[in-house]
Amino acid sequence: MTRLTFIAKNSLRNGRRALLTVSSVAVSCALLVTLLTLQRELTVPPESEAASLRIIARNKVSLAQPLPAKQLATIEKIPGVVAVTPFTFFGGNFRDETVTSFPQFAVDPARFRELLVEGKIIDGDYVEWVKDRTGCLVGADTVKRYGLKIGDRMRFTGTLYPCDLDLRISAVFQGTVDDRGLFFHHKLLDEATGDLGTVGTWYLRVASAEAANDVISRVNAAFANSSAEVRAETERAFQMGFVSMWGNVKILITSISSVVVFTLILVTVSTMSMAIRERFRELAILKALGFQRREIFSFILAESFGLACLGAGIGIGGAWSFWTFIDLQSLTRGFLPYFEVTPRIMATGATIAALLGIIASIAPSIAVGRMSVVDGLKTLD
Amino acid sequence: MAMADEPIVSIRDLYKLYRQGEIDVTALDNVSIDITRGEFVVLMGPSGSGKSTLLHIIAGVDRATRGKVLVQGINVANLTESELADWRNQNVGFVFQSFNLIPVLSAFENVELPLLLTQLNRRQRRQQAQAALELVGLSDRAHHRPDQLSGGQQQRVAIARALVTDPVLIVADEPTGNLDAKSAADVLSLLKGLTEQADKTVLMVTHDPKAASFGTRSLHLEKGEIVAG
Repeated sequence: MTRLTFIAKNSLRNGRRALLTVSSVAVSCALLVTLLTLQRELTVPPESEAASLRIIARNKVSLAQPLPAKQLATIEKIPGVVAVTPFTFFGGNFRDETVTSFPQFAVDPARFRELLVEGKIIDGDYVEWVKDRTGCLVGADTVKRYGLKIGDRMRFTGTLYPCDLDLRISAVFQGTVDDRGLFFHHKLLDEATGDLGTVGTWYLRVASAEAANDVISRVNAAFANSSAEVRAETERAFQMGFVSMWGNVKILITSISSVVVFTLILVTVSTMSMAIRERFRELAILKALGFQRREIFSFILAESFGLACLGAGIGIGGAWSFWTFIDLQSLTRGFLPYFEVTPRIMATGATIAALLGIIASIAPSIAVGRMSVVDGLKTLD
Repeated sequence: MAMADEPIVSIRDLYKLYRQGEIDVTALDNVSIDITRGEFVVLMGPSGSGKSTLLHIIAGVDRATRGKVLVQGINVANLTESELADWRNQNVGFVFQSFNLIPVLSAFENVELPLLLTQLNRRQRRQQAQAALELVGLSDRAHHRPDQLSGGQQQRVAIARALVTDPVLIVADEPTGNLDAKSAADVLSLLKGLTEQADKTVLMVTHDPKAASFGTRSLHLEKGEIVAG
């Protein structure tokens, strides 16, 4: 027998309690990891290198307010702008769906290739899309999710615009941070809506990241004091603006996570205290046999730490497996394109569990440390 | 090297006061005794007479209020908690009324437990634990857990655990209190054999005159004082 086997046998002496303790830590860790991942997905939008070169210009009043299409000529002439396209959110429901499960945007295909630089698209297919006014460019995730292929038709019921769309898949893109989107000809939207002469936003690409701030200032200045002032910002800033519309998600999720951790501490401390209190007699015997206070503390710590880490391993590993292998698009109906349980989040969960194991061992250790051998022995006979 | 007739335990003017609420209770009052190597000393007396307190102080699990406790020339009262724990491991074997084996460990592992504190390697620990179990006649029950053993067998395992570190002193607090007559006789014979064949010194607390008859000397305590022996 070694000290390790002694600790292991003590840890598992009450199988049901050990199972329940490990399970409570595992479930709590899985929940904690899920919440932290959700917080990350909602508050830190995915970023690509190309995103730093892209700017979105929207109506200064509100994102819901359109911009005049005639602004294109002015924006094109601004120094530093490499490409620009209208970028209008359609927000239609696919087939019989009742929600917009993936985004659709009306763009100018002839200009859009310059903006979607990281997207991998077969050149011939892209040319076909440019030629076909009813064609669309679809993200590979959406194609896969609905079992689509080039040539298939996609029907959308408009929710923001009083028109429906019937599109044909011309090309597929992949390799971006979000391969769910669908892009179609802005001219088609103009025709369907009676050519309102407006666009939702402008999507720009600049020559270099250093030039971005200058371009933003110039775009804003170009339409200052006009009937349609614009607010230009980087793609990332634009996404963060969307996130802020959720309210303070971060505080909400942090609050829930804190409650989870606090409850977990209470459960584990209580369980460990109970387990040690039942063994006061045995611990007194260990002391009588010559085990030092620090050795008994190390036994209690190892037991508590071991159970917490086992629970954490199962919970965090389970959460990682679940979110890695599940069909997330189906589960969230397209709400979350990604749900990546990062090593950092897993390390956070493991660290909290490890601290939990240490904290849970403190109270029982103090109680045992204070107990004299005689007092312990008095409970024996 | 100590002479054979030199006391292995020497107690002088020992006092032990307990505080119960606002009242001081004298558990031991001016006790002085000498115990030599190989003796089987029995402590008798009514409940509350101080016999268990005396046993605990000699074994180093309790401290005297005043007086000197020398075991093999070491004044136990001067040792720190940490030193005392080491000293107990090397010099004292404990046998309790309720056996007090660790229920999740086998008989063999229970015997091996005190050896985890020694410098012995795994093979040496196994050899010593095996030898101790053979000495008490339970090598065939080595892998049984305590709940798979009779009371008498459990107490013999406890004696093996007390012996395994080869201590000079074995203290037994009512070791036959929970045993039937035959098992009690077996256990007492075993303890007596240790004094006669292994030159161990045994200090036993008991209420039972029959058990006391196995000892080489009996000390009677009343109200904290030795009144006979």
